[in-house]
Amino acid sequence: MRVQAIDHVALLPLYLAAGAAVLALFAGRAAKGCMMIGLTAAAVAALWVGGGEDRSTFAVGTWHSFVADDAAMGAAALFAGLSVLVAAVSGRQSGEYWFLLAVSAAGGITLAGARDLITLIVALETLTVPLYVLVTKPGRDGAEAGVTFLIASIASSATALMGAAFLYAAAGTLHLEGLAAGLAGADPALVAAGAALLLGGFAFKLAAAPLHAWAPLVLERAPLPIATYLASASKLGGAIAIIWVVFFGLEAGAGTATGIVVAALSVASIAIGNLGALVQRRTVPLLAWSGIAHAGYALAPLAVVTTATGREDAPAAASAALAYAVFFVLLEAGAFASLTAVRPAWTSDRAAGVEALAVGEHATGERRDEIAIGERRTPLEGLKTGGPQGSDLKASAGNIPVQGSGEGGAIAELSGLWRSAPLPASLFLFSVIGLAGLPPALAGTFAKVAILEVLASSALWLAVIVAAGAVLGLAYYLPLARTVLLGRGPSTAKGRFAIALAAVGLALLAMTLAPQVVLDFTAVSR
Amino acid sequence: MLVLAVAAPLFGAVLVWAWRERAAAHWVGVGAAAAALVAVALLPIGRGNGNWMTYGASLEGGWWHQVDFTWAPSLHLDFAIAVDGISWPLALLTALLGLLCCLHNALGAERHTSGSLQVGAANVATGGPSLAAGKTVGVPGKPSPMLTVLLLAVQFASTLVFFADNLILFFIAFEAVLLPMWAMIRRYGDPAARRHAAAKFALFTVAGSLLMATGLFVAVADIGTADLGAIIVAGGVSPGLSLLVFALLAIGFAVKAPLWPLHSWLPDAHTAAPTVGSVLLAGVLLKLGTYGLIRVAGGLAPQGAADAAPVLAVLAALGILVAGLVCLSLPELKRLIAYSSVGHMGFVVLAFATGTEAGVNAALFGNLAHGLITPLLFFLVGALKARTHTGLLGSLGGLRLAAPMLAGVLGFAALASLGLPGLAGFWGEAFTVYAAAERGGAWFALAAAAAFGAFLAAAYLLRMLRRVSHGPVAPATKGIGDVSTVELVVWAPLVAGTLLLGLVPGPLLDLFGEGLL
Repeated sequence: MRVQAIDHVALLPLYLAAGAAVLALFAGRAAKGCMMIGLTAAAVAALWVGGGEDRSTFAVGTWHSFVADDAAMGAAALFAGLSVLVAAVSGRQSGEYWFLLAVSAAGGITLAGARDLITLIVALETLTVPLYVLVTKPGRDGAEAGVTFLIASIASSATALMGAAFLYAAAGTLHLEGLAAGLAGADPALVAAGAALLLGGFAFKLAAAPLHAWAPLVLERAPLPIATYLASASKLGGAIAIIWVVFFGLEAGAGTATGIVVAALSVASIAIGNLGALVQRRTVPLLAWSGIAHAGYALAPLAVVTTATGREDAPAAASAALAYAVFFVLLEAGAFASLTAVRPAWTSDRAAGVEALAVGEHATGERRDEIAIGERRTPLEGLKTGGPQGSDLKASAGNIPVQGSGEGGAIAELSGLWRSAPLPASLFLFSVIGLAGLPPALAGTFAKVAILEVLASSALWLAVIVAAGAVLGLAYYLPLARTVLLGRGPSTAKGRFAIALAAVGLALLAMTLAPQVVLDFTAVSR
Repeated sequence: MLVLAVAAPLFGAVLVWAWRERAAAHWVGVGAAAAALVAVALLPIGRGNGNWMTYGASLEGGWWHQVDFTWAPSLHLDFAIAVDGISWPLALLTALLGLLCCLHNALGAERHTSGSLQVGAANVATGGPSLAAGKTVGVPGKPSPMLTVLLLAVQFASTLVFFADNLILFFIAFEAVLLPMWAMIRRYGDPAARRHAAAKFALFTVAGSLLMATGLFVAVADIGTADLGAIIVAGGVSPGLSLLVFALLAIGFAVKAPLWPLHSWLPDAHTAAPTVGSVLLAGVLLKLGTYGLIRVAGGLAPQGAADAAPVLAVLAALGILVAGLVCLSLPELKRLIAYSSVGHMGFVVLAFATGTEAGVNAALFGNLAHGLITPLLFFLVGALKARTHTGLLGSLGGLRLAAPMLAGVLGFAALASLGLPGLAGFWGEAFTVYAAAERGGAWFALAAAAAFGAFLAAAYLLRMLRRVSHGPVAPATKGIGDVSTVELVVWAPLVAGTLLLGLVPGPLLDLFGEGLL
């Protein structure tokens, strides 16, 4: 019997992540430590493998299912690093929590190296499935988030699988390199349908329109550390899946159809995300809606494969898209992590089986809402409410009930943060300004420059749309920054997780000073 | 020296921010601004001969000084800065205005107002103890050191824009001006209008700069390098793209300049901004737009500039006329001067659009003259508003009797602004009309429109003087103090500069002559 040769070095980061997951399941109280150490080791291993020569394994002929090149390993390291960050800002949780998080990270690492559709989809599912459990916290809101995420995710997975099946029918293979060769002569309608379904399904993970609606709802109701993960690692997963499929598979054989699909996804996301974010008054939904717009920006460079001249630039376009995704998820991670640090904690310990606690949680949620309403109606009055007494008064005044109560709270609750918690506030500001793409948060500026450079030469109209979206974005990012920086609220929030935040901050600062490091890692090539 | 000129304001901003609680914070800012001014002033030492030559990929001879560090090659981004006869006067102006604004803050030139108009009103509007008020407890009457921080940040970014020799760096520096300026208006502006004005300023500017960025990237993709000097010497982008690139860049810069009809953010921003904010806005930020238009847009796409010149010229001439007519009926001083800026910038753009050597020189000269005169006017109006607590023409009067020195300087600045021969304003506007008339044909009509605009400027400025300086002493002006020594110190350099440029325009024109266009 012939046994396929497997390059275990290429798989080392994956082994480490999977090992960390298993260890976390059985380690009891030490689970968090095991998981964080294991994933840090996985990140280091990924960087080490990426630093060496490119490796690949699981070969069928010259096609490989798993490739460990620079871009893949850089992305793998980023997955592991983001998971460690989420773990660091999670506080105390039960053992399964760490197991699920580590499994999800392992899915991400697999995804980064995947080069055939089955591996890709399985990896993406491994990334997502643990999140069904993690987004759900006891209580009605938690159940709502969990069910929404479950249904949306399964629907999109089915869509993606259907698309994969169409492409298989057209090309006779599932390897991305095989698709590149096999799609050229296939039935164009079948290919177009396949590409549209596959990309549409993947767009769910990235929270790009039209499958975006879950994101604000789930992010708002999920525990904040998990929202951090959803907004960073999970989105990076969606972006990478789309970039890999478009660049390695569809671009050569089905460029026009793919380009049109991606352009449509991108434009719709930019429009819907920005318009949705404009009307938000709560922090997490605002970031979630703007994240939809950012998904659109990240996809935009891929749309240049529509035209023949654009296809010549495909490596540059894919690199720009990946670079944008990396800059963006790090900025999102910074924003959400700092938000996690300053918001009151929700831990599984607190809710451990005691129903009364769930009720209490609900009550606090309500109270927060009432503060929010008060602020909306009369800003001055809202600013004066320092404690429960004031809000009780307002509750008796009779207000309209608001849907949803997340941990993120209303934007107005962040006012005065700059003085009460400088470190999280500065990280939050840096991230928000970066997301707006403005100096001095150059990480965001470089991301914009990267995609605009590609678009300006190949798809000028899309560049103008991206620019218009960025202008709209400013309309909600600037007030957010102003609230944090200049607001005179009663904020008494104290920052937590100083080390984790400092680490993200340093990473962002490093990217600001030396963007070339990121750009080198995100340079995609066949 | 070049790096010092750019870095001094940045370090100053960081230091002032770090020491914002200390009394000496303002003076650290002044020191940094002074260091920057000295560094910029020393730049002409050891300059080249003004002959532009290319050796291989790099450009030699023309730049006075040049510094180049690789930053992010895959984005075409280098930290490349250089200086020549066109960027140096503007950088000097920026450094000078930066220093004057820092001095203005440090000396508390507006201190004799009852608790400073802006801070006092901010307390009323927000119902809480304002941050600024809390900060200024130790140093009564002075604005918060944070304002100095923002000033220095704007100065840093603007200097970088003028010196940038790399298009991507140019874009980043151009964007970097936005946030500090926004914060200055939003935080320290007139409480009644600042929110709206700051948002409008930010959105207009970002829309413009992103369009400009798109144009820059099209050019970079077409040429394959982002080295500004090399691109200009090579003659810009390929002819097919020239008009597109120029249109994108020109719209971007026209927002900043501002060119009618994209000017509507400017009066609001000026009206709401604190005095030093208005000074920087008029003296530096508008120059970014015109500098970009003349140097970058004109240099990258000379063909497109020639093609689009008629459109640009018509818009500029319309802007001059509209600004003049609007100014005739405006009841508020700051807004009036802001609108007059639109007119002056119209002259600059019209002169640039003619495309002749006289025209471009007139544009550069008018640009600089405006950068001296309008900031002086804003300082004066700021002083007047601080004394009388009103900027309405209707409630002012008799300044000549109440504060003769102030009225005198105001008269001087107004005369300079309307282009009296012998003062700085004259050369730019006169040669604009000359350059436009020289081209003949339809351009003659534009020249006539511009000349009529200059006449309108005389009309509205004299109207302003009549309402403010002459007539019986109004209740608001009764008993106000005359010019203090502090104010004289701040204003003197601008007055001197205006006189100097007016009497001896030659050396500056020589500098422009050897610059790279």
